[in-house]
Amino acid sequence: MALIEARGLGKTYGAKRAVDDLSFVVRPGSVTGFLGPNGSGKSTTMRLMLGLDNGDGSTTFDGRRFGELEHPMRHVGALLEAKPFHPTRHARDHLRMLAASNRIPDGRVDEVMDLVGLGSVAKGKPGKFSLGMGQRLGLAAALLGNPHTLILDEPSNGLDPQGIHWLRDLLKHLAGEGRAVFVSSHLLQEMAVLADQLVVIGRGRMLANGAVSEFISRSSLGAVEVRSPDAAVLAPRLTALGAELTSEGGVLVARGLTAEQIGDEAHAVGARLHQLVTRQATLEEAFLEATGLAEEFRGGGEA
Amino acid sequence: MIDALRYEYLRLRTIRSTYWLIGSAVAFQLVMSIVLAASISSSDTFSGGDSAFEIIATIGASSGFAPLFIAYIIGLFGVLSMGHEYRHGMIRATLTAIPHRTYVLAAKIVATTVVSALAALVCILVALLSIVGFGLDLPTAKALVDLGLGTIVFTVLFALSGLAFAAITRNQTAAVALLLLVPSVLESIIRAIVIAIKGASDEPGEDGGFIQILKFLPYDAGGKLYTRASLDDLLSFLGYTPFGPLGGGIVMAVFVAALLAISYVLFVRRDA
Repeated sequence: MALIEARGLGKTYGAKRAVDDLSFVVRPGSVTGFLGPNGSGKSTTMRLMLGLDNGDGSTTFDGRRFGELEHPMRHVGALLEAKPFHPTRHARDHLRMLAASNRIPDGRVDEVMDLVGLGSVAKGKPGKFSLGMGQRLGLAAALLGNPHTLILDEPSNGLDPQGIHWLRDLLKHLAGEGRAVFVSSHLLQEMAVLADQLVVIGRGRMLANGAVSEFISRSSLGAVEVRSPDAAVLAPRLTALGAELTSEGGVLVARGLTAEQIGDEAHAVGARLHQLVTRQATLEEAFLEATGLAEEFRGGGEA
Repeated sequence: MIDALRYEYLRLRTIRSTYWLIGSAVAFQLVMSIVLAASISSSDTFSGGDSAFEIIATIGASSGFAPLFIAYIIGLFGVLSMGHEYRHGMIRATLTAIPHRTYVLAAKIVATTVVSALAALVCILVALLSIVGFGLDLPTAKALVDLGLGTIVFTVLFALSGLAFAAITRNQTAAVALLLLVPSVLESIIRAIVIAIKGASDEPGEDGGFIQILKFLPYDAGGKLYTRASLDDLLSFLGYTPFGPLGGGIVMAVFVAALLAISYVLFVRRDA
């Protein structure tokens, strides 16, 4: 069981503050999704956590920094970039080499090769691997030391739909065993079904940190669908209460009020209700809303 | 540190360049030493001995008229030792396996030293085999040890400078270019400029002075480890007296140590 505690992480490139005072906790037994627009500092943050980049703050794994861990692959498995291997060194040899540095037996190499579905190409040259196979080899390296913590940067890159499904099951299974899994991804729908917790950043700053359900429910993009034969009476009252109304195929969609508020108001004005349904924002909607102002590269935005 | 050495050992064993570089150096030495030994065996001038051994073992470099080719081939081994880390994006995987950067660099230095020394030793033995094979007189023990050791030390220092160039530039191609150009082109340009200035001075034959800079051209100075005659000897009329094998070796060793020190500082401080 490992608790990741990141405190005050920061990184400056020239005049640009790429990561600014990020603090968060990744708990064992959970998958924590790491979201942010392109260039928001996710990869830099992960490198800071592992001591690969110099910067402010510190990250501890059960109270110890990464550099203080003896045989770190036995504690923390990391996948930081696609295809981090020599193109002509056999896949199995690549893992044997990493295993040797952490006193991991060769038998474990064969286990993880099979686990990620590369057992049949163990003697293959990674230079000829597809991006998805390369990601699987990277995952195999991360899992090599049977670590209690995983830090994975866009692990689903290049995976086909079956591969993404496999990865989701694998990460959920690993978290279910009590491991801490910290994973970045740009596949928001995937993250919605995979992650328990979220760390959302924009321009290197923390935008949200907490349970996925909380993040979504906080979004103003949640709406209440109202079906009423007395919509003409009800609509002006809801607008007066601050609701933003749209009509979708005869259904009134109200944003800014809860179902309870709308029900009470309908009762007060004597409007009949045939349907009152709360529609939550999707993770994608909540994410776009949260990062909308921080999106560095959005069209027409601040350079 | 032991773990970093285990990593480096597996890294070298499981990559083709280790074999083709050492194989190329030995094959080159084998072919050329056979050609030279055959030539000498049919010559009336030499019957073997120290001079023949020196020429065959260094493939003519001991004359000072040619570079030590095996050092250039084995030197690439030093470049690749660090160059592969950056060229193939391995450095982050390496440092997440072994976060102690001092150990990572030290293991590469140890591995490069051992492998390049062994490769150079094999090349010397190949030369001896050629001498024996063609029935030439064997060298004296002193010549064998002096030249053998000098060749091995130069090759090791040369390979380590390649490793340092790769660590400093973080670019394999740039490091190869530096390793080839600094000894063969840059030092020649500096030598030409210094000689021209000295020759044009009021007293070109005066001992010492400006021309002594040439003694500190690192690869040229290190070449004294295996040369038994040199173009530099022709410069004595300009008051230039080069270092001997020990002095020249020390100059090159200090230069390589400085390069490695810079590499270390940068490697430890830079982002991976």
